[in-house]
Amino acid sequence: MSDNSKIICITGGKGGTGKTLVAVNLAIMFKNEGKNVLLIDGDVDNPNTYLLLGRKLENNKPVYFFKPKIIEEFCYKCGLCAENCATHALLHVKDAYPIPILTVCSGCKLCYKICPQKAIEEDFKIIGWTYYSTDNNLSLMVGELVPSEARSAAIIENLLERLDDIINKFDIIILDTAPGAHCDVELLINKSDLIIPVTEPTKFGKLDLFRIIELIKLLEKDYRVIINRSSLLGFRELFLKELDENKINILGDIPLDDDIVLSYCQGMPLMDEKNDFNRENEGYKSFQNIFRNLLEWLNNKEVSIEN
Amino acid sequence: MIGVVSGKGGVGKTSLVASLATLINKDPALKTIIIDCDVDAPNLALILPSKSNNDIKREDVYNTLKATFENEKCTHCKRCIDEQFCEFNALSWDDVNRIPQLNYLSCEGCGACKVLCPENAFIINPVKSGEIISYISDMGAPLIYGKTRLGSTTSGKLVTECKSYIKNIENFEEYNMVLIDGPPGIGCPVIATVSGLDYVITITEPTPSGLHDLIRAIEVIKQFGIPFGIIINKADLKSPFQKEFKQYIDETGFDIIGRIPFDFSIAKAMSFAQSVVEYDPKSKASIAINEIYLKLKKAFLN
Repeated sequence: MSDNSKIICITGGKGGTGKTLVAVNLAIMFKNEGKNVLLIDGDVDNPNTYLLLGRKLENNKPVYFFKPKIIEEFCYKCGLCAENCATHALLHVKDAYPIPILTVCSGCKLCYKICPQKAIEEDFKIIGWTYYSTDNNLSLMVGELVPSEARSAAIIENLLERLDDIINKFDIIILDTAPGAHCDVELLINKSDLIIPVTEPTKFGKLDLFRIIELIKLLEKDYRVIINRSSLLGFRELFLKELDENKINILGDIPLDDDIVLSYCQGMPLMDEKNDFNRENEGYKSFQNIFRNLLEWLNNKEVSIEN
Repeated sequence: MIGVVSGKGGVGKTSLVASLATLINKDPALKTIIIDCDVDAPNLALILPSKSNNDIKREDVYNTLKATFENEKCTHCKRCIDEQFCEFNALSWDDVNRIPQLNYLSCEGCGACKVLCPENAFIINPVKSGEIISYISDMGAPLIYGKTRLGSTTSGKLVTECKSYIKNIENFEEYNMVLIDGPPGIGCPVIATVSGLDYVITITEPTPSGLHDLIRAIEVIKQFGIPFGIIINKADLKSPFQKEFKQYIDETGFDIIGRIPFDFSIAKAMSFAQSVVEYDPKSKASIAINEIYLKLKKAFLN
């Protein structure tokens, strides 16, 4: 497999379309092929991959974030720090020590850098965690934001740094993103070689799909779409037609399927060989089909890069 | 101000808000402004289109700050790199021209480079972060929604702008309720949505991820000390997790506002761009949502 296309990003815009379901099962199918796989959960607001895999979170590492610490005996109460703070994270009243308001602090450290008295020290708080575990050729790296912290992108950056350290150990890397099209999602798409947006054949699905595709195009990435719940209401034909008109390539679709719900709720991935789901079921076959198409896409990529 | 959040995406926030909006509009006791705060993927407008295309107001929002660099002022001292002015990896060194290069996406507009550069070669300017769209919906209530400009990185700020936009609605003092459709997740845009609300409706589904994400959303709501209740969507889903789910909910004693059964009429209503209470008022889901509505209204008017 080419090193030029080994990071695959699963995203989608809309929430609840099946991103994590696809990410987990693709990772399992690569593992079944004997590949050494790393699955990264980049939905740091709500990481769910480990639930679907039936795993526990292990080997946590804190993600630290800057906070200013005012050393009162050095401080002249000049107010320069508060004056220059772009997010107004330092409150300064005349003749009083500045008070940090951590919820709005961007972590730019300007206050620390410009204080003429060196009365501001670098201090840190934990805003999240990253986890890493290896099991049977399928490694899992998860980012998790501490609830009520806002800087989720800092966790993503931390994940990507951790990835850079170990990237050579793996044949393939699957990234699972949060819903939406914000900075967290953008960072992960930007890091990836191939993008798979997962959508559903509804009006909401279409609107959000078109928006995420706009972002993918902005970042100049190659993408193919998976349509989940494709048997919904027979709206599929119309949906497919619209995708076709917009020249959107489809990697495959996943019908509504009881086994999928069952595997999802039990933390037993559908495509894991040991879980013994019926291989003739539509859900199972659809994943096999998607995987075949994905391998073909990866091969084509490799050929076009070599040429 | 009442908002709907969920933690997990795709569990029915927008469908619920659309139905509640429909019911509220038929109710003379309530006069409501609706806001879609899912600025990354605003969908509510599909179900609540404008009454007439002529009165759609669009306003660009410029609340993202970005740095630019004036090459001619640079004395090539390289202090910006050596002393790491930027904490966000937005500055790198261009060896050929011996000037710093700015990465637009990474820049947070904090202004550290501007303040620290001895030659004042950096400038901070506001750039377009998105737009706020507002109109009177076909059912009567004003709808406000925000839409981020892709790559602008400031969803939270735009959410706050959307919420304060209500004062631009004509005769806004006459309204006695604001109903907000929130974004998924628990990060910056959710915090911005929940902040300042009087009540939060959380919606979830009986799956492990639904519960996991609900618990995390509730942690955020509790930090603000805002009262909340739970709506369980797809409540009768054939899920082996039902027992565990019920046990958790029972043990916490959280207020359950209502349960909406799994009902294809919701999906069908969506494909006609209607709320389910409008599309099929007799459906199981519509009956459940009606009960939820009456319960909320009673609590709200008290």
